[in-house]
Amino acid sequence: MVKKYGFILVSFLVLFCCFGYAQAQEIEVSGVVTDAQTNETLPGVNILVQGTSRGTITDSDGSYTLTVPDANSVLVFTYIGYARQEVPVNGREEINISMTSEVLQGEELVVVGYGTQEVSDVTGSIKRVGPEEITKQPSLTATEALQGKVAGVNIIQNDAPGGTPTVIMRGLGTALGGRNPLYIVDGVPVDDINNISPSDIESINFLKDASAASIYGLRAANGVIIVETKQGSDGAPQFTFDNYAGYTSVLNEVNMADAGQYITYFNEENAAVGGFQLSQNQQYNTDWFDEIINRGYVVSSTAAVSGGSDNIKYYVSYNLNKEEGLLDEQTFWRQTFRNNNSYNLFDDFLTIDQNLSVSISKENPKPIGAFNTAYRQSPLVPAFYPNGRYGQAFVNQTTGVVTYQAGPDESIGRLNSHGNPLTAIAFSNDESNTITLQGNVSANFNLTDYLTFTSRLGGTRFYSDQRQFNPIRASYIAGDPNRTIEQYMQNKVANPNSTTWANNSLVVQNTQTYRWNWDNFLNFNDSFGKHNIDATIGYSSEETGVGKRFEGLAYDVPEEEQYWNLDLGTDQYEKTVEHTNFTPTTLLSYFGRIQYNYDRRYYVTGTLRRDGSSQFANNEDYYELFPSVGLGWTISNEAFMADNNTFDFLKLRASWGKLGNQNVPFNSTVILTNTGSGSQNYVFGPDQTLRFGASVGSPARDISWEIIEEYNFGADVEVLESRLSLTADVYQKTTENLILQVNPLPNSPFEGSYFDQGAEVVNKGLELSLGWSDTIGDDFSYNIGTSFSYNTNEITSVETGFEGLTGGSLNNGQISKRLEEGHPLGAWWMYEAVGVWQDENEIANNPSIGGALPGHLRYADLNDDGVIDERDKKFFGSYIPKYNYGINVGLSYKQVDFSVDAFGVGGNKVYDALNNTRLGGENIREETFKERWTGQGSTNEHPGANRDAVASSYYLEDGSYLRINNITLGYTVNKLVDHVSSVRFYLSAQNPFMITDYPGFTPELASVDGGRPYGQAGIELSAYPNTRTLLLGINIDFQ
Amino acid sequence: MRKLKKITFVLFATLLLVGCGDSFLNVDSREDVEEADRDVTYTPNEFVIGVYGNFTEFTYAFSWLGVTEIISDNANKGSSPSDTGTDKHLLDGLTFSSTTPSIEAVWTEWYQTIGRATYAIEYTQNFEMTDETLRSRLIAEARFLRALCYFNLVRYFGDVPLQEQSLTVRAPKEEVFDYIIADFEYAVENLPGKGEYPAEELGRATSGAAEAYLAKVYLVKENWSESVNYADMVINSGDYSLDQPYETIWREEGENGAGSIFEIQARGKATAHGIQQYSATQGARGTSGWGWGFNTPTQDLVDAYDSEGDEIRKNATIIFAGETLFDGREVSPNTENPRYNEKAYSSANAGDGDGDKNMRLMRYAEVLLIKAEAENELGNTTVALDALNQVRARVELDPVATADQAALRQAIWKERRLELAFEHDRWFDLLRTGQAAEVMQAHGKPFIEGKHELFPIPEEQLRKTPEMKQNPGY
Repeated sequence: MVKKYGFILVSFLVLFCCFGYAQAQEIEVSGVVTDAQTNETLPGVNILVQGTSRGTITDSDGSYTLTVPDANSVLVFTYIGYARQEVPVNGREEINISMTSEVLQGEELVVVGYGTQEVSDVTGSIKRVGPEEITKQPSLTATEALQGKVAGVNIIQNDAPGGTPTVIMRGLGTALGGRNPLYIVDGVPVDDINNISPSDIESINFLKDASAASIYGLRAANGVIIVETKQGSDGAPQFTFDNYAGYTSVLNEVNMADAGQYITYFNEENAAVGGFQLSQNQQYNTDWFDEIINRGYVVSSTAAVSGGSDNIKYYVSYNLNKEEGLLDEQTFWRQTFRNNNSYNLFDDFLTIDQNLSVSISKENPKPIGAFNTAYRQSPLVPAFYPNGRYGQAFVNQTTGVVTYQAGPDESIGRLNSHGNPLTAIAFSNDESNTITLQGNVSANFNLTDYLTFTSRLGGTRFYSDQRQFNPIRASYIAGDPNRTIEQYMQNKVANPNSTTWANNSLVVQNTQTYRWNWDNFLNFNDSFGKHNIDATIGYSSEETGVGKRFEGLAYDVPEEEQYWNLDLGTDQYEKTVEHTNFTPTTLLSYFGRIQYNYDRRYYVTGTLRRDGSSQFANNEDYYELFPSVGLGWTISNEAFMADNNTFDFLKLRASWGKLGNQNVPFNSTVILTNTGSGSQNYVFGPDQTLRFGASVGSPARDISWEIIEEYNFGADVEVLESRLSLTADVYQKTTENLILQVNPLPNSPFEGSYFDQGAEVVNKGLELSLGWSDTIGDDFSYNIGTSFSYNTNEITSVETGFEGLTGGSLNNGQISKRLEEGHPLGAWWMYEAVGVWQDENEIANNPSIGGALPGHLRYADLNDDGVIDERDKKFFGSYIPKYNYGINVGLSYKQVDFSVDAFGVGGNKVYDALNNTRLGGENIREETFKERWTGQGSTNEHPGANRDAVASSYYLEDGSYLRINNITLGYTVNKLVDHVSSVRFYLSAQNPFMITDYPGFTPELASVDGGRPYGQAGIELSAYPNTRTLLLGINIDFQ
Repeated sequence: MRKLKKITFVLFATLLLVGCGDSFLNVDSREDVEEADRDVTYTPNEFVIGVYGNFTEFTYAFSWLGVTEIISDNANKGSSPSDTGTDKHLLDGLTFSSTTPSIEAVWTEWYQTIGRATYAIEYTQNFEMTDETLRSRLIAEARFLRALCYFNLVRYFGDVPLQEQSLTVRAPKEEVFDYIIADFEYAVENLPGKGEYPAEELGRATSGAAEAYLAKVYLVKENWSESVNYADMVINSGDYSLDQPYETIWREEGENGAGSIFEIQARGKATAHGIQQYSATQGARGTSGWGWGFNTPTQDLVDAYDSEGDEIRKNATIIFAGETLFDGREVSPNTENPRYNEKAYSSANAGDGDGDKNMRLMRYAEVLLIKAEAENELGNTTVALDALNQVRARVELDPVATADQAALRQAIWKERRLELAFEHDRWFDLLRTGQAAEVMQAHGKPFIEGKHELFPIPEEQLRKTPEMKQNPGY
């Protein structure tokens, strides 16, 4: 290892030793440095005699005096924010220089990992988003605001308070491994950016292709997102205050059947199966969504100050974000505090950057299962009975009236097996508190003007403190208005050891985790004639997942929240304590990158990263090499293009690289044991004593990281005086050794499924970004940005015996997804509904699924064997959108600004499981009621009130939508009073409307189980609705 | 300044050197105890317990009900019409196929138990221990349990792979029977009798249990004399009797009683451990209910009891909606279904996940009925009648007196149905005796001769081992 990099080290050493000589014939040079645009003098400009350590800085008038070794010396002028200049002395004694601001030059810097690069020099596929775009749409987590703004990045919103968006870059390449991109915040790798206020972010850089991302090797498979936070800048303190407040409501409401419709539906259903009939004469007509949904609100306040001098720059900010959700007492708040300082020491020889952030959050989540129950519970059931008890699905089966009361000889039954959604909300008493401390210190040694050494230490400490209080007795009593405390206490006495009859339970959970990383790298940056070289080598060591978890459980603590201590629990039931120290993961990586260009026309980028991970300690095969190459050709810089008037900028790019995914599941131990009621154990003896046994589990296969190989071709074009810009990329991304959960042969001795590498997945896609910006006259400017991404996902090969991973559980024993070659990951797989059985005769004369009745859906016998079974199931595409697009329009006229952002997806299907998985007696949507089958010949499309709960294509809905994400109207007042440089008021509507055919709350289903492709991704069972938010905000800047 | 730079550079060079090393990547596990650090040697006994333990899997609480009773004339699916219990309606309606999950579940379950048993046998054989009697006893227990599973497999699927030999080749039925017999014979020779175990080992397989199963195996093979031979061993051992009122057998007090030969043990008190949800899946559903309401007795079964005037067994076997149970529990007249399986009812753990219900797999009464049937086939009518009537006498039924072999055969078969209803033997019995087609067709079920005598090999298995052929008709 050392040898390998040894020679590079030596070459750097040689370079290092090349300077520091001195000669006679010194001359004194002096002059003034000014800004090229404003002609103002520039104090603090760094001037160095090239090849020496001799130098000075300009004084407060921008003047300098410097003695140079000889008349042929070259002066190097550098100043932050300005282009570097090299000026040969040529015997002159006065040299006045005007420096050009780099920002004005229009060269944007993207952050590429261990360095930065000018946008026009990039050979990979990288997209940078600046602070204006990040904060334009108010959000809790910055990525949320970027939906539809970055081609190739699919962002799925989650509108629940504290909810975080899911980010998928360039399609899904893993079935079981980690799917999240890697986040790098100020050089520190982290799992997410939920602890960072969007207002603190200077830029977010999406590293999409392998050549850009491979500098992060084994964790870059899902793309890399580099976040840089704001730094102070020279000058007097700048204060900014940003505040907004608004309220939220449901975007797409779902219309449920009312009491009368429900009665009809219920009676038709029961008539078919032979149950009791409901009376038309009922007491209640409850709209359950009305009962559970409240208006939510959101408030955010930010205060920041930044400034600095030559030697110290600072940025300090505070943000408070508070949200109240749609459900009662569903709250989330977060405070963040940030302090970023930068120190220049020893005449800029050493720069120390120090960033520190503290984030504190508190969440009172409420079960989103309440939306499920509210959908299903009958409108005939009251929220509360007149006596104040919770309404439940009891019905007098004799009279057919929904009530829990019965006369003599009358019997009480239930309409359905669901409860009252209000109880789930009222009896959920969870609270989660977190503190995240994150920071890094980096020391940059400017060894020469072309050689910089950086050592960076970063760390994140996370504390979480959660509690769940479950009022067992209260929720039991709420379950039936006839139940009494007295009854409960009798049961409690009769079953003294059974926690079923405890008054309540309290679970307290503490988790602490810690991670650190230490990066050391050397950067070389210089030009030799037309050769421009930027080279970086270094290494990084990192440890993550250091930490522990403690969980305690006690019963019967006092009911009041103030006493919720485990110690106050009763001794009647056993208290339990669990404590685990996590096994940390260590990473050790060596990396090198060379970015070379000739005359800013021909570009080559080569990256090599050797990664070692302790994840693979089992087989001691720690290391893997991740190479990548990127090529670029800026045609518009060619001499033959000099006369062209069409292209202001034209560049072609191509890249190839390998990436890894180390976040993969592992095979467990061979011998299985269990301390409870596991099937390894058995009881013997007259007292039936529990005896502990053991069994052999699964074969422990060694598995390694998933390897991704990616090709990317792209073009950047600017025409019409750079008003129109276009970036296009096509890519192919192949996961070569996808890890699957393999079920052993049914007749093998192995018990559990195990993980093995046995499939290949290919993502192919196209990304387009088109931008237009222009000004008309002095007062009016406008811009239009569009992005479009298209991605296809296909499992291109599966090893024999590895097919057949199923998933997409509908929570009723039905599954809806299956893995097979030739289909996308997480593809839908179910019966094809081909009509409705009209009568018994039809059922008898055709193949049908067991238990079919008239009014049930009819399924296709695809293999024509006369039997409807699994072999007739068919693939129906994926829940992942094939394409998404964003359209962003901004206008500004004098002091008024206006913008509209739209976002849409298509080519996906979502499963309406709420409608599908009925057990009988549940409520339905009004539409379901109206279109139902009501008898022979009524419809051959929609099932009747009595239907099965089998997964079928009938319930697959088109998941495409177009949503206006944001409309903002702002008005800015400049120089309102002294020191106040500007005040902007704005009115913003988030998600004002959405166009979709999906009948539920939203086809944009936030993942309930982490977005596992073979989990419930794309299935609506209990989705939190999309919300519409109306905001009023004010930004104040002053000095 | 230059000095500073040099220091920096040396620092960097040193850091590069420091960073290397696999030791940094070799992280000690803190959550899962690594195999080498486990201060545990597994005893053979633990692996044998693991074999027994597999009989407590949820498969026996649900899929097993489907393939033994719901499928037969004894029981309906039960529960609410729309709750299919995944596939219980397919079994009930005889419309199952190779993809029916319950069939795959029992197939997988039995092979898993066989795998555990084989591992336990090999582990015990190679384990350093001095007590050779214990060694052979543990091996015999594992072989007993393995044979039990193969016995189920061969009766339901016909030719099946012998896991120890090949996972892809279906061994001929006769070969499988030989294998089963060898295992049971080893068990007969090496297991202690009922009274010979220490008290705390109550519940382990005994030589008597192995003999009883051999009697049953030979009955299936229609080797009547061997069947009688083994049945007599059980009867003459004096370990078992009918001295237990029929209705108390399935109550807590009746566990491991006088007539118990082999049952799956369960514990209701914390830490509870029984067949996962066995009582819950079959508990009454709806008003006053405590369970899911599956596997409900048919009217036909009620009629069968009534035709014999068999009140004792009818009431011990069936919970009728509206009745008050022996323990005082009132069952509403408005439960979802009119009848439920009382043999699965647990007083203490009605609907709990883990209950105290021991599943009775082999009883002395069945051995008497095996003897009766085999003797009748051998022409020994008197002996046959004597065995049959012992069983009838306990439930206060008049003795059967027919001397006609065919009539007696029918009487014995009916007696088996009434005595053993809901003890997971009915479908085996219908297939074994060849009555299945006639009985099921009479119930309006589409039993196809030449097809439904065997279950299909699960599709999942065939997909992965395509060299295995499917049973006819599927």
